[in-house]
This record gives sequence, structure tokens and C-alpha cells, in this order.
Amino acid sequence: MSGQRLVLAAVVLALVQIGFLSWIIMGRAAVLRNGQEVVLKVEPIDPRDLLRGDYVVLNYEIRNVPVAIVSNAPSDGDAARDTPIFVRLGKDDDGYWRARSASLRAPAGQPTAGEVDIRGIITSGPFGSELAYNVGYGIDRFYVPEGEGRAIETDMRERPFGVLAAIAQDGTAQIKALLDGQTPLYEEPLY
Amino acid sequence: MASYFSRVRADATRWVELGYIDGKAAAAIAADAEARDRRSLSFGSILAIMAALLFGAAILIFVAANWEAIPRLGRVGALFAVIFAGYVGGAVLKLMDHDAIAEGLWLIAAAAFGGAIALIGQMYHLSGDETQAILTWCVGTTIAAAALRSGPLTMGAVALASTWLFLVGVSFWRHADFPHVFIGIAAVLWLVSFWTRSPSSRHLLLLSLIFYGALLAGETSVLRVAPVLAALSAAVFGFAVAMPQAAERFARIDGLLPVHGLIGFLTGMVMIQIQIGDDSGSAFAITAAIILAGIVAAIVLAGRESRGLRWIAYIGFALELCMIYVVMIQGMLGTAGFFLAAGIILGLLAIAIIRIEKRMSRPGVTEGVQS
Repeated sequence: MSGQRLVLAAVVLALVQIGFLSWIIMGRAAVLRNGQEVVLKVEPIDPRDLLRGDYVVLNYEIRNVPVAIVSNAPSDGDAARDTPIFVRLGKDDDGYWRARSASLRAPAGQPTAGEVDIRGIITSGPFGSELAYNVGYGIDRFYVPEGEGRAIETDMRERPFGVLAAIAQDGTAQIKALLDGQTPLYEEPLY
Repeated sequence: MASYFSRVRADATRWVELGYIDGKAAAAIAADAEARDRRSLSFGSILAIMAALLFGAAILIFVAANWEAIPRLGRVGALFAVIFAGYVGGAVLKLMDHDAIAEGLWLIAAAAFGGAIALIGQMYHLSGDETQAILTWCVGTTIAAAALRSGPLTMGAVALASTWLFLVGVSFWRHADFPHVFIGIAAVLWLVSFWTRSPSSRHLLLLSLIFYGALLAGETSVLRVAPVLAALSAAVFGFAVAMPQAAERFARIDGLLPVHGLIGFLTGMVMIQIQIGDDSGSAFAITAAIILAGIVAAIVLAGRESRGLRWIAYIGFALELCMIYVVMIQGMLGTAGFFLAAGIILGLLAIAIIRIEKRMSRPGVTEGVQS
């Protein structure tokens, strides 16, 4: 490889990698900026991610989606893992958003005013006496500065916590803030 | 251990004394060996790579600490700067003939790319699995290795691919699909390793392919997959021994393809044996016989060429003896009997190894490239 071409290759390579990373950041920031805001109720679990550090595991109330409210579920409820599911959320009187109905693979029509579709993936199920799917929304972790995770988890066991999330047009959810009751603990800047 | 250059120089001096070659030839041989030695990794470049790995680890752990004193955008910006400076600075240094430092800088840049992926996951609380992030990192590093024609970066990409396979493999029960895509990744990395002239990457790739086979056997059906793994490995071994030049053209791993063939064969056969181990009927005896025959055949056919292969064969042989003992005789003797038998087996093994090693290193026999 000639000299100039190697330097050129290095510059292009660096810009491509930086560009790729920026593109992901832009996409995520756009969800925060434009997404529909919802507040979801959470319960704690724990541990630590090797690469990304301490985090609090969030167990959402809407993690369990009863088969009964899934409009196009097969009669025995059986659905493959990793099947996309669109859960329609509506706001209840206590301020938390809860599942109203759901639909496998594609959303069932447009949500009406005051409702929003969140996209999840079936992680397991259906289980339980009232058959329900276990659904992951890609927002199950909240990363905190080293050493602060444990304290939050202890608090979460004592009083209700919520997550303020933004939901994009396509149903992608993104955490905006972790709420201790009504008070935001950490607010997420766009970048 | 003495370097290749110093060994050749000592040999050349001895050959001159014995009258095999003249002084001019000896000087030429020594000069050639010295030039070759310099091209391989020197002490300095190994230190440079280790330093780079430490820097890389520091970057990753710094990101994980999620330190709030520096705003996120600052951290992202710093990582972007490291990526840019690392790749471009490395290229400039490469042109100025500072190869080792250049490769080190490239490794740091690649680590910063991985760190940036982790940081973005942290910034936006993405819970998606780590394996996806590592795969993305692996792809980025592969592209970097190809663009910069860097051996160490290729090695890094292979290590990331193997890590990915391992992580997906151990958490397999959570996923719907077996990571077959690894075969494709391995094929691409194999080609890239030719372009970047990195035989070590090919060694690691071959080992991870064997691991892939073992994983597949464990997940699906040992008795269907493991025989294929063993047979394929035996075929690779046969090909490498029968047509060494063709094999070397294909693999270019310093004639060590038979070693990988033997490892794959043993892995597959031992898996079969463990699977059928409980009923110590004739099937077990047959597989044991095949394994022992395979080990002896490997030593006879290729043992002379490579000490590495001989040692893999010895270890395999010792493990196999233990296995036969545990399955076949366990019921009849007590613990004391086991220790007695183990002592006898080890003693016999030691005698056998000493005899083989003596034979293999008889004067006049050239020792092949060692692992």
C-alpha cells in the first residue's frame, strides 16, 4: 500500500466508524426529542454489566401481557420467542400508562388520541393461571454512576418508582427519566 | 529459549567446523536468518501491543464507570478523538517505519470504537444483549483490519468473533437460533487474514471452528454432529499430511494444520465417548480403539514434523487412558487400586514419551517449525 493511500484509508475508516456511531446517537436522540411520553410503573431486580457498568434492572408492570388482550393471538396462545408484539398503552387515573390491547407482529390500526403503541418482543410464555406473555421492550436497564445502583434498588423496594419513556412513531421506546414517585432522579439529556 | 537466529548461527558455525559448508555460506545463512527473525515479532513490538491492550482496557473500564464529572457528550467526543487520532496517527507512524507503535495505536482506536458502542448503550439505557454489541465491534474491527492491512487488528477481530461465539454459546438457552452465522464470519476473517498476513489469526479461527463444532454437537445431537467433526478433522489431517504443500498454500499456518486436525478429531471422538460412556459395551471399546489408533497414527505420520502435535497427542493419550480406566475398571478396584493403576499408567506414559522424543530428535532428523 502506498503511503498516501494508507493515510487516506485510515482517515476514511475513522470517519466511517465515527459516522456509524453518530448515526446511532442521532437515532436515539430523535426518539427522545419527538417520541410520545408515557409513565410506566416499575419494580426492581439487580446486577452489573461488564462493559457498561452499574445499572438498575427495571421490571415493568407492562412486562406481562395477558393473551386475552392480544387481538390476533392463536387460540392456544402459543407464540414463538422473539415475535414482535405491539402493545397499546392508555393512561390510567393514577398517572401510569397500562396495556389496553395488543397485537402480534404488526399494530392493529392507528391508536386513538390518548393512546400509543409500544413495540416489544416476546421473551417467553405464555405462562400463569391467566395466560400472559413475558414481553421485553429494550428498556429494562437504567445505567447509573458506579456505586449508586444499590441504593436506588433499595428505595425501589420501599416505594413506587416509575419510568418516563419516550415512544417513537415505530413503537421504539427510550427511557427519559427514572422517577421516584413523581420526582425525576436522573433526567436524560438528548446527547 | 534461544531465538531462531541464534540457533541457526550456532548450527552454521558447527557446520563450518565439520566442513559441510564454507565460511561464506555460513555468513549468508546467518544473515538470512537474522533478516527473517527481525520480521517476526520483536520484544519491543510485543510490549507495544501489550501497552495498547492496557490502554484499550482502560478505555473500556472508564466507560463502564460512568463517571459524571465529564459530561457524556465530552466522553463521546473524547472517544471519537481517540478513534480518529489512533487510526490516522497509526497510519502516519507506519509510514515513518514505526510499525510496532502504529499497530498499537490502531488497537487502541479499535478499543475506543468498542468503548463508544458501550457508551452509547449506557447513554440511552439500551438493554439489548451484549452479544449484539460485541458483534458490531467485531465487524468494525474487521473493516479496520482490512482497510489498514493490520495483522494485530485481524487477531483482535478474530478474538472478538470467538468471544461472541462463546457468549452466545453459553447463553444459548435464551436464544431461538444457533449462531450458524459464525461460519460466515469465520470465512470472511479467514480471507481477511490472508490479506493482512496473519497466521496467528488463522490458528485462533481453526480453534474456534472446533469449538463451534463442539457447541453444535452439545446443542443438537452429539452422536450425529461429533462424528462429522471427528471425520472432517481427520480428513483435514490426512490432507495436510498427504499434500503438505497444497495444505500450506490453502492455510499458510507454518505447517501446523495437522495439529488442528488432531485437536478437532480428539474433541469429536471424546464427545462421542462421553455420550455413550454409560453403557460400557462394545461401542465404547470401539471408540476407544479408534481414538488410540488415531493418536498413534498422528504421531507416526506427522509427529516428526512438529513437537506441538506430539504433545497434543500425549495429552490426548493420557486423558483417553484415564477415561478407559474410569469406565471399564472402576467397579472392580477401590481407590488404592486406582492410584496404583494411575501410577503405572503415568510411568508407562513417561517411558513411552521419553523414547518417542529421543527418536524424534535423533541427530540428522530436522526438527520442524514448533508451535
